[in-house]
Amino acid sequence: SGELYCSLPNPRNVHFESVNMKNVLHWLPPEGTGDGVLYRVKYSVYGVGKWIRKPECRNINRTWCDLSTETSDYEEQYYASVKAFLNGKCSDWIETARFNPLTDTKIDPPVVRVSSTERSISIILTTPEKWKRSPEEESISLLQVYPGLQYNVSVLNKKTKKRWFFSISNNTLVVPWLEPGTAYCVSAQIHVTTPLLRSQFSKEYCISTLKDK
Amino acid sequence: LGSCRVPISMAEIRAGFNTIKANIQARDPIKTLSILSYPHSLHKLKSSDRCCITHHLFNFYVDKVFKHCKTEDSYVNRKISSIANSFLSVRRSLQQCHEQNKCLCGQESTEKLRQILVNYQGLNVTSAAIKSLGELDILLDWMEKS
Repeated sequence: SGELYCSLPNPRNVHFESVNMKNVLHWLPPEGTGDGVLYRVKYSVYGVGKWIRKPECRNINRTWCDLSTETSDYEEQYYASVKAFLNGKCSDWIETARFNPLTDTKIDPPVVRVSSTERSISIILTTPEKWKRSPEEESISLLQVYPGLQYNVSVLNKKTKKRWFFSISNNTLVVPWLEPGTAYCVSAQIHVTTPLLRSQFSKEYCISTLKDK
Repeated sequence: LGSCRVPISMAEIRAGFNTIKANIQARDPIKTLSILSYPHSLHKLKSSDRCCITHHLFNFYVDKVFKHCKTEDSYVNRKISSIANSFLSVRRSLQQCHEQNKCLCGQESTEKLRQILVNYQGLNVTSAAIKSLGELDILLDWMEKS
């Protein structure tokens, strides 16, 4: 019946890698198979009865498959599965652990914008957007997804190397009583307490306060 | 939860669950059935019924889930009992709200709770308890959604 004999070693470490809910399935090739291995991918919504094939990831030779569209409803949870094919042989279907986009995604640092006066720095933070299918689609800020989202902000006086940390809920911060004509560097991180999610700190944005008139 | 003010240590419950989530969910081979989400997601329910649903689901987890989730792994068992203790204290507060009529159930939520019990009874006790525990993040996600 043309049934393939599935004795090929299995793909390894099949898992989702998710950033801002861009959810990409990754895996490692089967042990010792070298080039020429092709893969098929399917996914399922937890609690719903059927596996759905991903046509764009049928007979691919790369070891990743973007399932962001299929897993964009973050009120659902998902499984994905990969099967390898080589020289008429195949592997088993190897599944991920249950994937919850809401708790299992990573969040990028906020975008930081700074301006200064003689004795203060104003900081405006912008939360990354949830991944979306196309630029025309409506943007959803991760702030809407995680209502308890907060920011940790670090401000460094480059001259004295003194550093302050602030934890704020709204996205603006004014740091007063600074030294005129001095360079300050700002970095910020997103922090969600529950579910517990924490971005990396952003790169540093440096600015000098104006000189005293 | 509407007029019912209940202190819930969500971060603590979440942290406890996260440490055992992969272990517990791996013990649940049935991917085609959800106890909390079948046939409809908790998110479909009216927000006015949040207190009632939370109250009854905390009762469900305390009375029908945690006690049937013994594993061979003592670390996992300790985490389960820690979560269970958190649920017990919240349940007491919810019970007070219920007694003060601040936690009333609409028809839709009554039907949803009935369905959850039907889903639970559709499996043997241990499988149903493990599956329910593996779905704890579904409950927590719904509770945290504003």
